This record gives sequence, structure tokens and C-alpha cells, in this order.
Amino acid sequence: MDFRELVYGQKPFEGVFVFDVHGHIGFEQGSQLGPNDGESMVHTMDRMGVDGICVSFSPGIRGAWKRGNDQTKDTCKRLPGRVFGYAVPNPFHAECDLTPYFEEDLGFRGVKIHGNIQGETPENDPRYAHAFELANRLKLPVLFHAWMPYEVDRAADVASRYPDLNVIIGHGGLTFARDRAVAACKRYDNVFCDTAISSAPDGSIEWLVDKVGVEKVLYGSDMSFFDCIHTLGKLALAKLSDTDKEKILGLNAKKIFDL
Amino acid sequence: MRFIDARCQLGRRCVIRENEPVTKAEILELMDRCRIERAVAYHAIAKEGDVKAGNMELLKDTEGDSRFLRQWVALPHTFGEFMSVEELLKGMKENSVSSIRMFPKTHGYSLKPYALGKFMDAMAEHKIPVFMTYNELASEDALYAMLTDYPKVNFIISDVSYREERKLFPILEHCPNFHIGTGNYVVHGGVKTMCEYFGAERMIFDTGLPTGSAAAAVSLICFAEISEEEKTLIASGNLERMLSEVEL
Repeated sequence: MDFRELVYGQKPFEGVFVFDVHGHIGFEQGSQLGPNDGESMVHTMDRMGVDGICVSFSPGIRGAWKRGNDQTKDTCKRLPGRVFGYAVPNPFHAECDLTPYFEEDLGFRGVKIHGNIQGETPENDPRYAHAFELANRLKLPVLFHAWMPYEVDRAADVASRYPDLNVIIGHGGLTFARDRAVAACKRYDNVFCDTAISSAPDGSIEWLVDKVGVEKVLYGSDMSFFDCIHTLGKLALAKLSDTDKEKILGLNAKKIFDL
Repeated sequence: MRFIDARCQLGRRCVIRENEPVTKAEILELMDRCRIERAVAYHAIAKEGDVKAGNMELLKDTEGDSRFLRQWVALPHTFGEFMSVEELLKGMKENSVSSIRMFPKTHGYSLKPYALGKFMDAMAEHKIPVFMTYNELASEDALYAMLTDYPKVNFIISDVSYREERKLFPILEHCPNFHIGTGNYVVHGGVKTMCEYFGAERMIFDTGLPTGSAAAAVSLICFAEISEEEKTLIASGNLERMLSEVEL
């Protein structure tokens, strides 16, 4: 597989397993987005040769945690094997219990923590403990929105206290928090970084691979905020071996998402 | 498809993170890897230090190099701090400089006609396109005011993020002299949406090199769900047409 030729030839990434660990569906209050329903995202994934994506429902990160998680469940049901779900807890709603989303296979594969838009709740706050305990018991990945150094440090703290879950530092590896993310990846076997950041220059994914090792880097796009093409292209044209690109694009995720 | 980058900075900048391209050779390697034929380039010193000195550095750095299309950074004349409009136009002609970049926020000046009217009249008369990043403008209302104050000047506004459509689409609807640089416009399906609503003529390919990703910028156009004709316009056609119309 010559990934560069895929871009030059405008061809989909067929023949390689591609799994996007960082997706969003649904309306976003602060801005108009592009197409953000599951079907529209799968349409783009089909065009690009992306096999699957794990998403959280954006309005569910805010007030409507149950409605949001139910919307994710419905999307996973409509698009089985293509769209998987992160269940999202709410630290202010005491009745919030994510267990039902994992009692049978409804498509959920992990938990998403987004403390900064949930009242600046620290990512390792005790009010998220039930979600961490659930993830630890089921050996699930937990995706953290983490692009500030303190957010990365708190995610690393969760990794240290719950060794059977896998922490994914969303965005963190490639922004001003990247040194902290590198430290966390090196210190804890259960910490990974995803590639979902728009403003990182060429060379940043290579930098991350050099610092933490390719096994710790996961392809994430932030679709539908961003187009998945953005990071796919950056990876395809990166100065990495094709073997490394295949690991980042999906083989690493396969292990920790039970795919 | 031919790509011509409308936003590239040459020269050593203040903040350099490990593994970011710095030298002209490193930028050219990236352009080659991403199959970008040429780039409109200004100089880091013209943004971060001394505008006049930076513009002169650009001439030295691009001497005899056809890969870069020269762009000068401009300031208001303001009591002799910068070249007069006449001197600027003469200098541009003598040195094959075909466009202007402005940093009103970084360099601290007003875009209103009382401060820039004469300058913008010259840009309109000579059909010189004016480039800015969106964060150099105070707000979407400031952008709208500039576009309507100078309706005959073609503006290329780049580094527009995925969160700006609600603000910028109404301005695109009302201001035909408003063009978007595609480099950081990464919203899902955004290129297609913009083509459908406003036409491919309103988009200009750029990368923001060396701190933007050329690979991502090229891929967003290559894989956009639009026609080859539209891709060609965005990748190089619109910019080439705009620059070919410059009269110096």
C-alpha cells in the first residue's frame, strides 16, 4: 500500500483497516457544522475507505446525557459495524448511570469524558468515578477531551488509578500539552494519544511517534467537527513507514476497542 | 491537479516547535511531497519584526527562485512610517511583487477609510489582492465593514476555522469580494457546502506553511466531493486569475 499515491490519485483507503477513535454526531450549540448525522458521516467514510468510527452525541455531552446516549445507541443500531458509541456521563446529574448501555452489545465501546464543557469539571473528579469503575471492570477505552496540560495530567491520574481501562488523550498529543501527553504515554501502559487536531503542522505525528512509539498513537479525526479527510491526508503524506501508518490508522485501535 | 499555495511564510519565526519546518529547503521538501507547484510567500520578519526589512529579506530569499510568488506586507503610510502608496506600487512593480498581506491586529491600525482609504483605493485601481488571516480582524462585523468599505478590492481571508460558518456565510452571501483561504477550513464536507452555496470561485487553496499542514490542505481539496473543474479552480485557477489581473 503506497499511502501517498492514494492522495495523489484521490483513491479511498481500501485494503487497510481504518478506525476513527474520535467522532462526534449531532448539533453543536456554538457553531454551525457540516453534515453531522451518522448516515452523512458513513457516506464520507465510504468515500474515504474508513471502516468504523466511535462517536459521542454532542448535545448529550451537555445537559441531555440520557437523550444523547440514546441517540448514540440508535445510530449504532442503524449503522451496525460502522458507527460505535462512547457513553457520556454527566457529573451534575446524580441519577446518571451508564451501565445499561453496556449490559448487552448496543454498539458502545467506550466512555467519553468532556469536563471542560461540563462546568469545567476536573477530568478525574469523583463524580465521574462510576464511569471509570465501569470502564475499568469492562476494560474499556476512555476518551478524554484533553488539550490543556492540566487536563492531560488529570487523565493520566485516572490511568494510574484504574489500570484496566485504557485512556485516550484526545487532541492532547499534538497541542501545547503534547509534552505532558508524551510523559503520560511513557509512564503508563494504558495511555494512548489520538491525532485529532486541526492546527498541528506537518511533522507533528512523526514527532509523536518518535517520542512515544507507534503503538501508542491512534487515528482520530474529530469528525463531524472536522472532515476525516484532514487527518487521513496528513497521515498518508507523513514521513512514516507504511507499517507505522497501518498501525495508527486502525491496527492499534483494533486491540483496545475489541473490534 | 496543480496546486498553488496562497499562504506561505518564509524566514525564521519567533516560535519554533520541535519538528516544524523552518528553512526554505524544508518548506520546499514539503511542497514537493504534497505536490505543490508554487507558493505565494511573505517573510516572517515582515510580520514579527520590521515590515520594511522583512519585505527586503523576502526579495533576497526568493531571488531567482520561481517556486515563490512574492508578497509584501503593508502598513499604513502614517506620517512616513511606511512607504507612500506611490512608492509601494513602484517597489512592487520593480520587484515582481503581486499581492499584499496585512496584519491590522498584530501591527495595530484601523482598517477604516479614514486610515486606509487611499491605500485601498490603490489596491482597487491596480487590482491587487489583499490577504489576511481571520484572527487579524476584530470580529465578523469588522470583516463585513472592511468588505463593504472597499467593495472593489479582492480580499482573501484565511485560517477560518470550523466554527465560523454561522458568522461568515451571511457575509459571503452579501460580499462578492470575500474569498476564503481553504487551509484551516476543515469542517466536515465544508468545501462541498461552500461550493454549493457560493461557488468554487470563492475559495483559494492555501496551507499556512510552515505552521499549517500542507498535507492536510492538499488532501481536503483532492478528496472533496466536488467536480474536477471546481477542484482546479480552488487549487490554482482562482489565484492565478486574480494575480494575472494585477496591473502595475
